[in-house]
Amino acid sequence: MTAAPPHGQREAPSDDPRVQLDQDAGVFEPVPPYPPRTEREAEFYTLGDGEMFINMGPQHPSTHGVLRIVLKLEGEVVVDLDPVLGYLHRGVEKLCENADYHHSIAYLDPLEYISSLFCEWPGVLAFEKLLDVQVPRRAEYIRVLSTELNRILSHSLFMGWMALDLGGLTPILWSFIERDEIAEMLAALTGQRLLYNYLRIGGVNGDINHEFMSRLGDWMSRATNQIENNLGLLNQNEIFVRRMRGLGKLDKETAFRMAVTGPNLRATGVPLDFRRAHPYSVFPELEFDIPTRDEGDCLARYLVRMDEIKQSLRIIDQCIHKMPDGPVMAKLPRLLRPRPGRAYAAVEGPRGQYAAYVVSDGTDQPFRMRIHDPSFVHLQSVGVLMPGHLIADAMAVMASLDPIMGGVDK
Amino acid sequence: MTAVARSWGRLTLAGKILFTVIPILLLLTAGLVLVVVLFGKPIVDFLAANIWLVRFIVAASAVLLMSVPTAFLIIYMEMKVIALMNLRIGPDRVGPFGSLLSVVHGLKVLMKEDFSPTGSDRLVFTLAPVVVYMSAVMSLLVLPFAPGLFGADINIGLLYLFAVGGLTVVGLLMAGWSSFNKYSLLGGLRSAAQVVSYEIPLTLSVVGLLILTGTMSLNQISLNQAGWFTNWYVFQQPLGALIFFIAATAEGNRTPFDLTEADSEIVAGFATEYSGMRFGFFFFAEYVNVFIVSGLFVALFLGGWNAPIAWPEAWAIHLTFDPGSTGMGLLFALLLVPPILILALAAPFYVGRSSLPWWQALIIGFVLFNVLAIVVVGGWAFISLDWVAGLLWFLGKTYLFVFTFVWMRGTLPRVRIDQLMGFAWKWLLPASLLNLFVTALAVIVINPR
Repeated sequence: MTAAPPHGQREAPSDDPRVQLDQDAGVFEPVPPYPPRTEREAEFYTLGDGEMFINMGPQHPSTHGVLRIVLKLEGEVVVDLDPVLGYLHRGVEKLCENADYHHSIAYLDPLEYISSLFCEWPGVLAFEKLLDVQVPRRAEYIRVLSTELNRILSHSLFMGWMALDLGGLTPILWSFIERDEIAEMLAALTGQRLLYNYLRIGGVNGDINHEFMSRLGDWMSRATNQIENNLGLLNQNEIFVRRMRGLGKLDKETAFRMAVTGPNLRATGVPLDFRRAHPYSVFPELEFDIPTRDEGDCLARYLVRMDEIKQSLRIIDQCIHKMPDGPVMAKLPRLLRPRPGRAYAAVEGPRGQYAAYVVSDGTDQPFRMRIHDPSFVHLQSVGVLMPGHLIADAMAVMASLDPIMGGVDK
Repeated sequence: MTAVARSWGRLTLAGKILFTVIPILLLLTAGLVLVVVLFGKPIVDFLAANIWLVRFIVAASAVLLMSVPTAFLIIYMEMKVIALMNLRIGPDRVGPFGSLLSVVHGLKVLMKEDFSPTGSDRLVFTLAPVVVYMSAVMSLLVLPFAPGLFGADINIGLLYLFAVGGLTVVGLLMAGWSSFNKYSLLGGLRSAAQVVSYEIPLTLSVVGLLILTGTMSLNQISLNQAGWFTNWYVFQQPLGALIFFIAATAEGNRTPFDLTEADSEIVAGFATEYSGMRFGFFFFAEYVNVFIVSGLFVALFLGGWNAPIAWPEAWAIHLTFDPGSTGMGLLFALLLVPPILILALAAPFYVGRSSLPWWQALIIGFVLFNVLAIVVVGGWAFISLDWVAGLLWFLGKTYLFVFTFVWMRGTLPRVRIDQLMGFAWKWLLPASLLNLFVTALAVIVINPR
């Protein structure tokens, strides 16, 4: 190490990389440093008249994690955008292919950390199909009960985030009360607050216990009131409703073309719900409605989710009353070696269709594991919905689609 | 090691500070006494000849000194009130009920690195927070806090306030431009658009009031509203007051019009690249602005320092007691009354509870005496001194409005930029013009010259 020459009289050799770094530090252009790889990239990274790039994320306050979007702006209007993914990539599919069937459930968990149980479920279902396991009915009811709780948790957080992205400070903390009660409940049931790792091939890990039931009963007695209270903050707020109505309109055809599922699809008027369309578990025995809206805008997406909370409460109520006695795990061999083959399973999560496609080659590890995640699919419709809106609305559109970056980047 | 150094080493930190500060203070006092003795006469003569200079220096320093605690108080209020609305606890560690947290925040930003990003325009970058803060502090000069308690009674006080308040946007634009950051630029431009648009309804909404008062001096406007609360201009100008309140919210960049620093859209707007005390200036200026718009609203529409009820002269309490008239008796009273009263207040506790040690009883007596003294002196000041009562009324009303701003921040989401501009030009501007015409018509009909 030589002493640095005094500032100002430094001779700067132009080929010294440190000097160049010094000069360029802090100046960041969102344009990639390599030549454009596709026509689309070339077109996007050429600025038109009066346009500018703005780099939103991966450390932006409202990109829901580590999404990076390069926005092409004209004034404040979004002209075009380029989402850059992969900041949270962990290679979950590959990890699953190198773990045995039981282990890979734990890898599925942190995909969407807000709705972990829904990430486990399709994988577990697909494994069960491969292994031809009959799941005990009590286990099925427990699965439905715990996942519906998880759905309410996810939707109430969505409400808070939606309001936070529109500048409201209070709803996020009110909805966190809801979320915390359910997290405590699920912690009593599964042992974890966030990444439950609860579903097992052929059942669930442990029967429902007294603490869970007392917490659940306590909460159910006031859940409807609490949720109505929280909704009162936003549903009658003129500013909120005016900003959301007619914003980010998604029509039926585009939604189908973009493979949108879940509440985002139901907000366009299509009553597609995998719990009814392709029934799994004990959903045929349960009564619930499929809330839909015809507008397809942000407000509709928000309201559909809020209606779903009420339906979930109905399902939970029925589960508690209909739950039979019996074991919670099927009898299984210690080492799982399914016959060679392939299986696909999908469930209806809080964001849409969660699915897993598993190929087995007869060993104790999946040969190929493919995870279908709704967040990733919904994020592609951002390209259709955002252009033409202001930056503020772009964030509202993002929030109303409710992507979780853990699931997008896998 | 000498004996002096050893003793110095044994001292605690507090001792070291005391032993350093006290000699310095002694030296300074001696120097001051020397200066006064040698040059006292000419200095006093000069100041007496130029009393405006004294007045200016005192008013400027008072306003500058006042702005910081005001900002601290409002910041604490915002943290605590929003926390309670969010069903959180909020600050509760530093000081009683966490009330010193904002002071600690202020010290923290003072100690942070003075940083400016690559590519920024250093001079403009440094000046921007100063411009913003100074415009806020300069506005405080003309606010009438109490009868006889104001920085300056300018006969165009209201115009001065709007003019100086408009300087804020220059500072925000400077910050947005010089930061070399697109988020800052967007924030600066947003603030320019917003403040310029809302200045028009803001100014027009008080024109009707000016027709009624016939003066722009805030002091005179407050005086006009003396008497019962029905004299307040909010009852003669309800629409004007409403427009003024909305436009003032936008002027102060408060929720739901806080688009310039919308954190979910443009990170922190113009303040994105600022840190340390430069950010602190922006932060303080925002809260001083909240105080100013609340105070202005109170002075214009809610009677300023006047109490809501006019006591009939027959009921008025007149304390003819003047502490100065007691002469040496005052000194003796100050010397003797506290210990006697403390002992007298402590005695029942010591006698009544045998388990209480004497020193705890004394502490209880001391606390009770302090409460009593504050009540007595405050009550005396409130009754006999006009400006104390006026200041209390003014601050009470002003902080009610500060609370309203905080309340709105806890409750409302943010509007969109086009809704914001549409609201200003399509609704507020016609409404303020309507208010102006109706007022003018009413004045002509009721009171023709």
